[in-house]
Order: sequence, then structure tokens, then C-alpha cells
Amino acid sequence: MKPLTKQQLVGLINSVDATRDQELNCADCQNFAAEFAERQLVGLPLNEALARVEQHLVICPECREELLALKKILETSG
Amino acid sequence: MRAGFWMAVRPLLAKFHRMVAGEINWVEALQAADNAAVLGELRAILLNGLRISLRDRHEVSEAHLEDFAQEALLKILERLNQFSGRSKFTTWAHSIAINTAFTELRRKRWRDVSLDALLADGRELNEPATMADDTFGDDQERVRLVAVLRKAIAEKLSDKQRAAIAGSLEGLPFDQIVGLLGTNRNAAYKLVHDARRALKQHLMDAGISLETIRTTFAE
Repeated sequence: MKPLTKQQLVGLINSVDATRDQELNCADCQNFAAEFAERQLVGLPLNEALARVEQHLVICPECREELLALKKILETSG
Repeated sequence: MRAGFWMAVRPLLAKFHRMVAGEINWVEALQAADNAAVLGELRAILLNGLRISLRDRHEVSEAHLEDFAQEALLKILERLNQFSGRSKFTTWAHSIAINTAFTELRRKRWRDVSLDALLADGRELNEPATMADDTFGDDQERVRLVAVLRKAIAEKLSDKQRAAIAGSLEGLPFDQIVGLLGTNRNAAYKLVHDARRALKQHLMDAGISLETIRTTFAE
């Protein structure tokens, strides 16, 4: 295995730090992704369910990548 | 004849404008028997979104984008009853299109990885050559954090847990890790979740506070 970059190791440690007893899975996260992205873009507060999305994004690089892509679309298309 | 054409088309255009502005119920329109025009409109919106989100991915052609948009459209139609109305319909649809595209791109990129390679990476995860003590510099507390983490990976995790975490760090899609380990998504989630919990507990037992971690890596 290649040596881990600083960024990879930060990702691992952040995901360990963010670990909770109850977590969303990727499918749950995707169910909330659209609402989460819209609220984040306009700076609206997150309710409890959406706060759990935020936690999932710390531990899941795939969902994080997809949410960034979604926000890019919303930002570009207004 | 030209006047007749515009008379016929005008209500349709007005409908699209209202739809784009969010004034029309997409779910209702897509469930209607004559939904061909609405499907075409949604497909164009998805395609535009995919062009935006994947414009830096030079390996993705226009034909790929069209395939992703078409596949996403089918998923959206299957899942119409899951749209909750908590967001704009188009944002929800874009989220499905993105998931469709990114899942396929990840699958193509990592399709040749074997279970043996994944397990080998897992075995090497806690090696100093993979996780160097001075990754974050020579500050004593940071060096200790990495050393404790490496020890926890070696002593607290199973081979499969180490392999799953190594694969994830390398960018291997979760679905592929699930497949290589010969398990299902729920079991794999539990495997990784249990691993993270064990590592977190070990860090806490070693006296490394969560506050230290946050301040160290907030930079």
C-alpha cells in the first residue's frame, strides 16, 4: 500500500472522531441530499435529521463527493 | 398554418416555464399518460447538470453523459413516490443523476482490484511505511496520535476491518469493498462502523482527547 498522504490520514482521523453510535447509511444520506444542499447553499439551519447527514459526510467520501457535485450544479444554475 | 402551430405550442411552452419556475407538480406531470415532452425536458435538465458536475472529468464523453441521464431518468420514474417535497424536484432529480454517474465511474475505475490486493493493503495499513509518525510534523502530540492510531489498527481490528478501511482510504467504492469481502452492505457498514468505534475508544483510552484531534486537524 502506498504511504498515506496527510489528507488521507486526516480523513481517517476525522472519520474516527465523527463516529457515533447511531449513523445514517449512504441510502439515508441520499434521501436527504437535495434538501441538505439547498439549505446549506442559502445558509438555513439544519434540523436533527440533516445534522446526521453532516456527520455522515465526514465519514463517507463518496457521499461527500456527490454532495459537492450537487452543490456545484445548484450554484451554477442558480 | 403558422398561427395554428403557435396556438398549439404556446400552452406547452407556458407549462414548461411554470415547471422550471417550480410552479408545476413534476410528479403529476411525469405520471400523466402524455408525459413524453415532460420527460424530454427533465432529461435535458439532468444532462445539463451532469455536464456541470463532470466537466473536469476528461474521460467522460458526451455519450457517457447521455447514458447517465437516461439511466437516471428511469430511476427517477421508479422512485417518484419517494419524492418528499422537502426540496425542489429538480434538485432531488439531480441528486439521483449524480449518484448514478459517480457510481458507474467509480466502478469502472476500480473494477480490476482483487480481494488479495485489498487484504494485502489492509495488512500494510498499520506499517510505519504506510502511516508515518511524522505525517503531521514532529510535534510530540501529533507524533503520538499517529503512533497510537497505528497501534490500535494493529491490535483492535480484524483483517477484514483493516482491508475495508484501507480500501476506503484509497478511494475504492464501498459497493466494491462489499463485493470483494463477499458480504452485503449492512454487514459491511457494521464492520466499518465497529472498526471506527474501536479506534475511537482506543484513542480515548490512550488519553487522546477529541478536542486535541479537532484542533490538530482543523488547520
